[in-house]
Parts: sequence; structure tokens; C-alpha cells
Amino acid sequence: MDSIQVGDFKFRLDLSKPLYEQVLQHIRQAIARGDVQLGTKLPSVRDLAQQLKLNPNTVMRAYQELDRDHLTETRRGQGTFITSNSETVEQVKKALAREAVIAFVSSMKNLGIDRSTTESFLKEVTWHE
Amino acid sequence: MSSALEIKHLCKSYGSKIALNDLTVSFPAGQITGLIGPNGAGKSTLLKAIVGLVKPQQGSIGIFGQPAHWKLNSEIAYLPDRAKWYKSHTIKQALTYALNILPGFDLPRALEMANLMSLDLDVLVSTLSEGYEARLHIILCLARRVKLVLLDEPFSGIDLLSRETIIQLLINSMLDQPQTILISSHEIHEAESLFEHVVFLNKGQLVLEGNAEALRQEKGSIESIYRGLFR
Repeated sequence: MDSIQVGDFKFRLDLSKPLYEQVLQHIRQAIARGDVQLGTKLPSVRDLAQQLKLNPNTVMRAYQELDRDHLTETRRGQGTFITSNSETVEQVKKALAREAVIAFVSSMKNLGIDRSTTESFLKEVTWHE
Repeated sequence: MSSALEIKHLCKSYGSKIALNDLTVSFPAGQITGLIGPNGAGKSTLLKAIVGLVKPQQGSIGIFGQPAHWKLNSEIAYLPDRAKWYKSHTIKQALTYALNILPGFDLPRALEMANLMSLDLDVLVSTLSEGYEARLHIILCLARRVKLVLLDEPFSGIDLLSRETIIQLLINSMLDQPQTILISSHEIHEAESLFEHVVFLNKGQLVLEGNAEALRQEKGSIESIYRGLFR
């Protein structure tokens, strides 16, 4: 699927993976990266479902998960807003980074590469800003 | 998850041709289920059996806990494979007539849908292209306040824009009222992101069923699963 811009968010969905997780990931990462300002209103469930051609229940499930992590706050009759609490965002960002590191470590292990070799690879790697 | 439909040991043959072969399957309530399979899989026969248009030789059909009966049809909106409407009606007349014959038909909602789908109320049904006629038929189903909606091949043989408009309407409809929706299809790409549950049929039998997200996690896209199953 091509990337689709909805409000402040950009989505690229892959039909071969669970859709709810992808919606969640896209929004979570956009918030963590600081692509969207704190306190911003998320697109309505209807808008997002329509633009991405998703079952509204899929979108609702992702929004509920964001609420549960306190990354967003749903206000009755007004919609869902990104938290204004930068500490929460920082925590979620760290958790996402930890997940990424764990996945990375596990793929190095699968290649039979030990810790010190991995660390030297990391020192050598070109890090394009 | 409670079931909207419980199909048990359903058998139906037309002469020597077997359409449903001891089919046992259930459909979750309040979700959109994709009923997927190639031509001749038994999809249409199953939907017809649910509304009593074909009489199975064996087996049972439970609809929201009750045995299938014509009286329950007031709670079911059914879009047949080759739906037709009175050619001499205008769209407005069609919708007004629907109000008189279809239980639970919500005329203001239907008019709103017609507007959303760019259907001109004064145009005659006989002059509609296939895509626009399909739009009318989907309104006749989705504008009804009913618990169960059965759509037989709603995307088949119509243009891209009409298919997209129908998807748009389905999404709105899901938000406006909780319904159980079955969509039969042999071409799934556009609708697959709407499915919450998927049932694959072949030769009158169940091949695979499951929650759409769980299937994506395990096996990839619904379309690729379909290819794998029927290649």
C-alpha cells in the first residue's frame, strides 16, 4: 500500500501483518519521534478508518491501546488527544528503543555473533544523521 | 464471542451437483466476515439458505440462537448475486418503495447515503450503469435497521470508484450501528482490510476460518492465503 497522509500522520500499511498493530506503531512512533506536537488531536476514528479503508473496530482498538499507555487521552465528545506530558512520551520512547535493541540482539545471536563482536560492529557502523 | 449464525451439517445439492457438503461453521456477531472462495464454492447457496431461498436437504441454521425461519427475514438485509430493481422507478421512487416493503428501512438515512454516493434521486433505474445500480442496491441493504446483512459479491463486475464508494459506505455503516455483516467474494483485495473474520469455502466445505488479524500474523495477507489455498 502507498503511504497515506491523514492529518499529521503518515501511514503505510502492509496487509500481510496485523493492521491494528501497524496503526498503533505508526502513531506511537510519530509521537516518540516528535513529528507531532504534544496535545494535538488525533484524526477521528471515522476519518482514519475512511482514509485507510480499515474496519473502524481496528482503529478503535489501536486508540484504546494508546489511551491505555497514557500516550493519548480520549475526551468524551471531543475526540482523542496526544498527551501533553513529555515524560510519558520519553518513557514510551525508551520502551520502544529497548524493544528495538532486543530485536537487534536477537538477530545478531541468530547469526552466531557474540556481544563483543556486535559492539565492535556498532562502533564501526556509519550513522547517517 | 457470541455467534450470529450457527450452521450445522448443512447439505444442499442441485440434482447431482453438490453445493454444500456437510458444512459446519459459525459467524461471529457484530463483525464483518469475509466469505471467501472460488466460483462454485457454495457461498451463494449458503447465503440463500440463510434467508430461506433454497431449502437444504440436511442440517440446521441458527440465526441469533433461533432456527432459521422466514419471519426472521425482517431482521436480515440480503443482497443477491444479481440484484435487480424496477427499471421504471427513479432512485427516489425506489427508496420510497423500499420504505414500504423492507422492514426497518430508514428513508432519511437512505437519502443521506444516496447523496454520499452521488446518486441523483431523479434518475431512472433503467439508465444506471452497473456501478451505480450496485450503489443503489447496497443502500437498499445498509439503510435498514437490521441485525444481519448478507452481501453476495457486492464488488463483482463494477468499476473501481463504485467499489471504493461501497467500502466507504460500509465503514460509515459500521460506525452508525452495530451489525453482523457477511460479504461473499472471490476477489478480495479491496475489501480485505475491512474483514475481522474470514471463512474460506471450497466445494461446499469449510477450508479455513479465523480472526483476520490472527490469520495475518500467522500466514500473511488474506489474499495470499486465498491464493495458497486454491492454487
